[in-house]
Amino acid sequence: MLNILVCVKQIPDIDLVKMDPETGNLVRAGVPTLTNPLDLNALEAAVQVKERYGGKITLITMGPPMAESTLRECLAVGGDEAVLISGRPFGGADTLSTSYSIVMAAAMRGKFDLIFCGKESMDGATGQMASQLAERFDAAQISCCLSVDAVGDGKIRATRALETGREIVEATLPCLITVEKDRFFGRLPNLEAYLAAKKAEITVYTENEIEGLDLQKIGVPGSGTIVPKIYPPELPEPGQIIRTGSARSDVGRLLELLAEKGAL
Amino acid sequence: MQKSDYRNMWVYIEHDGKTAAPVGLELCCELRKLCDRTGDRLYAVILDRLPGAEEEKVKDCGVDGLIRVHGSGYAYFNTDAWANAFTVLSRKYNPSAIFVGGTVNGRDFAPRFAVQLDTGCTSDAMELDWDSETGDIQFIEPAVGGKIMAVITVPALRPQIGTIRPGTFPYAPTGRKAQIEEIEEEISFDPEAIRCRHIDFIPDENDPEMDIANADCIVCVGNGLKDSEHLERYRTLAKLLGGKLGCTRPLYDRGILPYKLQIGQSGVMVKTKLYLSFGVSGAVNHTAGVDADVFVAVDKNPEAQIFNYCDYGIVGDMDEVCDELIAQLQARR
Repeated sequence: MLNILVCVKQIPDIDLVKMDPETGNLVRAGVPTLTNPLDLNALEAAVQVKERYGGKITLITMGPPMAESTLRECLAVGGDEAVLISGRPFGGADTLSTSYSIVMAAAMRGKFDLIFCGKESMDGATGQMASQLAERFDAAQISCCLSVDAVGDGKIRATRALETGREIVEATLPCLITVEKDRFFGRLPNLEAYLAAKKAEITVYTENEIEGLDLQKIGVPGSGTIVPKIYPPELPEPGQIIRTGSARSDVGRLLELLAEKGAL
Repeated sequence: MQKSDYRNMWVYIEHDGKTAAPVGLELCCELRKLCDRTGDRLYAVILDRLPGAEEEKVKDCGVDGLIRVHGSGYAYFNTDAWANAFTVLSRKYNPSAIFVGGTVNGRDFAPRFAVQLDTGCTSDAMELDWDSETGDIQFIEPAVGGKIMAVITVPALRPQIGTIRPGTFPYAPTGRKAQIEEIEEEISFDPEAIRCRHIDFIPDENDPEMDIANADCIVCVGNGLKDSEHLERYRTLAKLLGGKLGCTRPLYDRGILPYKLQIGQSGVMVKTKLYLSFGVSGAVNHTAGVDADVFVAVDKNPEAQIFNYCDYGIVGDMDEVCDELIAQLQARR
């Protein structure tokens, strides 16, 4: 039986995050959260592997207590158990320290044969977590996976997407896989699974419960990068807005202007 | 760790054994400028053999030196040998920064050797600056869907690692150095120890509609599009203009158009004569990928950021304006 880990993240709805023009801070309070969409594609890939080859899926995330809702959402579509890493000292982490925290917490749940991740998160969008997790798990990695073609004999064969074509690769287990979303559309939970997920027990690890955790390697102290400054993008001066009163005459004027420029 | 013990900047030259990928050359050109300010030397790192003519191109980008790595394990890209090579090299030479093109494979291995070296890694910077007081590179990039620009630094660790998307910086060689140091390194990785192996490669079928990077005209459809049923008119318009259809990330995320048509920093960077956007809000991540001689924007929101990037803008219903364009263009024929 395969022991499968799926890493998920709860993110703020970035369309609704605003920057406070006075303080220059991001205003996240009251902004709805969602499960990072690409992580649901990773979960779907894991569920397909579980259905084909048998296995158990453990979900793991790091975040505030409310990140439990993301784990329940994922439990409802195929996760078997769920782990939340939560505690103030984990906050403000970049990918170097987050990957450390996740691997240390995952080790509490045994050894994993396959680890699935989304390609990136919609909020941070570094796309670095998966490679860094793979290194810390001491695992092979298959990024940009289009299909899992076979699993067996301690190996996985998969197809990955490159810029100019598809590459077939074969990796030894343990292996971490990031998936392309086009091929792994998430499924909807059935009612029974949904209700079970609502009641499911979620394991919460604080910094005190993870064996061997080095507090200097988590959160801000463990981060390699910092963000000393954010600012609104500088916008160029607006172009010429054509306002003639109707779409027909606006378009007519636009075509004249383009013709004058020799752009048609 | 003393930051001052770490000197010089490196660029990884990705290649397929025949040609160097443009991104490595672009990075050399950009980092030449940065190194002139910091006083660092610029080195290009080449794994396995790159033909001489291609090496000449690298030299023309103003590098101070080449580091050629030879040995086993490099027959085909694999994360293990690549990450190992950079870890071994970095421990030997202590560079201040390592830059890797943000290709599929670059993004695959660079964060991995950052963990091996226990250092900070950034991705997708659009600008590079330098703080002379701290000696830190400032990686400047759009964040939170392009609403803000974030300055990211690696304040205490070295090397500073960054992956940068192809097309972010121009390929503009400023001239060759009189003296170019050439360093040969033997770093072998046991092919038997490679955990993820290449089996086969199947090239994509050549579909000209999917090749938009240098199209003369591009009609770009954004999240303002109601649904895929409304898409056909934009294809028609693109055809009438002798151009191609593209989209912004939300349309790819919504499953309406394929990734190869996604224009912007995380998709295709385009260079075109005429660019018409419909229902595109104008997030930095998108506009950073557009280099157009003439830029036309159509959106119903008069406050949309896209109007800051256009030459000509029309505030209105995107479908209506598109239909009107089709009608008037057809009437002109």
